[in-house]
Amino acid sequence: MSGQDPSRIGDDLGLGLTVPDIGPVDASGRRRVHPITPVVQGVSILPFAVFLAFVSGGGILSRLGLGAFAGAVVLILLIVGVVIAFGYLRWRILTYWFDGDGDLRVDSGVLTRKERRLQLSRLQAVDVSQPFFARLFSMAELRVEVAGSGDSRVKLQYLTLAQARALRNEVLARSAGIHEDAGEAPEDLLAKVPARDLAVSLLLRTRTVTLLLLSAGFLTITVMTEGWGGLILAVVTGGVPILIVVSEFLRYYGFAVSEAPDGLRTRFGLLRTETRTVPPGRVQSIELVEPLLWRHWSWVRVRVNIAGVGSDDNNNGKTETLITPVAPRGEAIALVHRLLPGLDFDALEWRSAPRRCRRRSPIQWRRIAVAWDAVVLATRRGRITRRLAVIPHARTQSVRVTQGPWERALDLASLHVDTTPGPVSVTAPHLDASAAWHVAQEQADRAHRGRGSDTSTHWAAH
Amino acid sequence: MADLTHDAFTYEEGWTAVSPRLVTARRISLALTYLFVVVIVVVLLVVPDVPVWVPLLVAGIGVVTFVWLWWLIGRRVRSFGYAERGDDLLVGSGIMFRRLVIVPYGRMQLVDVKAGPIDRMLGVTTVQLHTAAATTDATIPGLEPGVAAALRDRLAARGEERSAGL
Repeated sequence: MSGQDPSRIGDDLGLGLTVPDIGPVDASGRRRVHPITPVVQGVSILPFAVFLAFVSGGGILSRLGLGAFAGAVVLILLIVGVVIAFGYLRWRILTYWFDGDGDLRVDSGVLTRKERRLQLSRLQAVDVSQPFFARLFSMAELRVEVAGSGDSRVKLQYLTLAQARALRNEVLARSAGIHEDAGEAPEDLLAKVPARDLAVSLLLRTRTVTLLLLSAGFLTITVMTEGWGGLILAVVTGGVPILIVVSEFLRYYGFAVSEAPDGLRTRFGLLRTETRTVPPGRVQSIELVEPLLWRHWSWVRVRVNIAGVGSDDNNNGKTETLITPVAPRGEAIALVHRLLPGLDFDALEWRSAPRRCRRRSPIQWRRIAVAWDAVVLATRRGRITRRLAVIPHARTQSVRVTQGPWERALDLASLHVDTTPGPVSVTAPHLDASAAWHVAQEQADRAHRGRGSDTSTHWAAH
Repeated sequence: MADLTHDAFTYEEGWTAVSPRLVTARRISLALTYLFVVVIVVVLLVVPDVPVWVPLLVAGIGVVTFVWLWWLIGRRVRSFGYAERGDDLLVGSGIMFRRLVIVPYGRMQLVDVKAGPIDRMLGVTTVQLHTAAATTDATIPGLEPGVAAALRDRLAARGEERSAGL
């Protein structure tokens, strides 16, 4: 671990384009995002505009009598101009403030006006992120996520990094029910992922390795048969995993987890940096994933479901919400303990699937098991990629038992504990049918009792 | 709490089946869908240069699948059932792929009551429960409108009593 101050990880690049903060815009305390926002948005669109211009657009305009190069330049300026103009209109409309009840209010929308009120007692996560082009201006965007189905977030684009952080702290403090000027909570670095481990772990994921082996196979066949068909397949099966590895490496580079009184904070990213703060008690379910080739180092990936986060992220579809992309087992379990204090993996009594399960799942049947204690239910499955999912009883949304025709013939049934949308699913497939039904009924009871002791709103006010 | 059933998929006392009118409603929708097949067969018969066996084959496949689906609807509707217990609602469905959902009242986020045009004609209504999990699939089709409205109100009241955030 370097001696670097954890709060500096993922800071802006600056590049001498640092712009001064501006204060609130009117007497009632309504604030605006930074006036440089339209320019940043215009610059951000540049690569796309250049791509478009040189792929197609230059040709069309050159027919109107301009040279190809001049045509391309005109098109780029046009696109950037439109983006800046529209960005300016949006900037003029967008205001945000805290209302009398201490909730965050945001007015936005050029054509369709939208007035949104975020009930901060239902806050799920706050992200401060710096897309690459915004970083050049040391600008950042703030995303505030509350519980709700569908689109239940606001995105404030762009603030200076200092403003974004101050606003994040204010949102967290108000959500916790403590004084709004509490300032930034001191934080404690828990774990940091070395770049080498990240790269190696991404390359050794089961999916990556399978696809790369497949493309090696295609290449061998291509060489041996001197045909060309296999080459195209190999480009796809080889190209896709390499793209995934590179993009995940850039995304999770420098991953660091730290703990602050206002929540667990994760920071990551090489070009685009992100800082996500998840207040205590917001994690709905947790999963430890261990691909086959990670076991040599006993590495684990820790994923979580957080209500509303990553479910319909319009930037990049479904994004994984990670507590760590890769960590040694002991470290990962320590992180899980921070999220669910009092959980003891070794004390869990696993109830396995019956032996006849091997006729339904010949590979993973030995691993399938379910366990529970006073606080959580856990399921275990997968032999090549091992998965261990944990859900607190108080976070159980509903319980399902399903049975397909083959399971029915073997008197097996699958148990599912439903959790909010996200990468984790809590499933124990192919258990003994009556055992599954029994566990399901008991789980419904435990869920009912577990909810009594729920303290996830205004967590610091107790 | 006493088990209502010993096996998840055998419904016993305390279970409510859905209205048999749902069978009629679904068979009408099925028949309307198959009108499309009839149209295709007629077109194939009218168009010249199409060998006669083509429309006959289409018609044959149509009749076989129609009879099968007709019969399946009866069985599927009988497979739906629900039971209101002290702290949760049970919803069961399916023949080949059977499913039973337990939804604690306190976890319900909203209850939908809906009916399409054919359903309204025949007086059947669907009640659907939503929790914060998208995977909760608790849909009870084929309730009489009065029963559906009463169920919704009971569920809403119990949900309110036991609600505890996420």
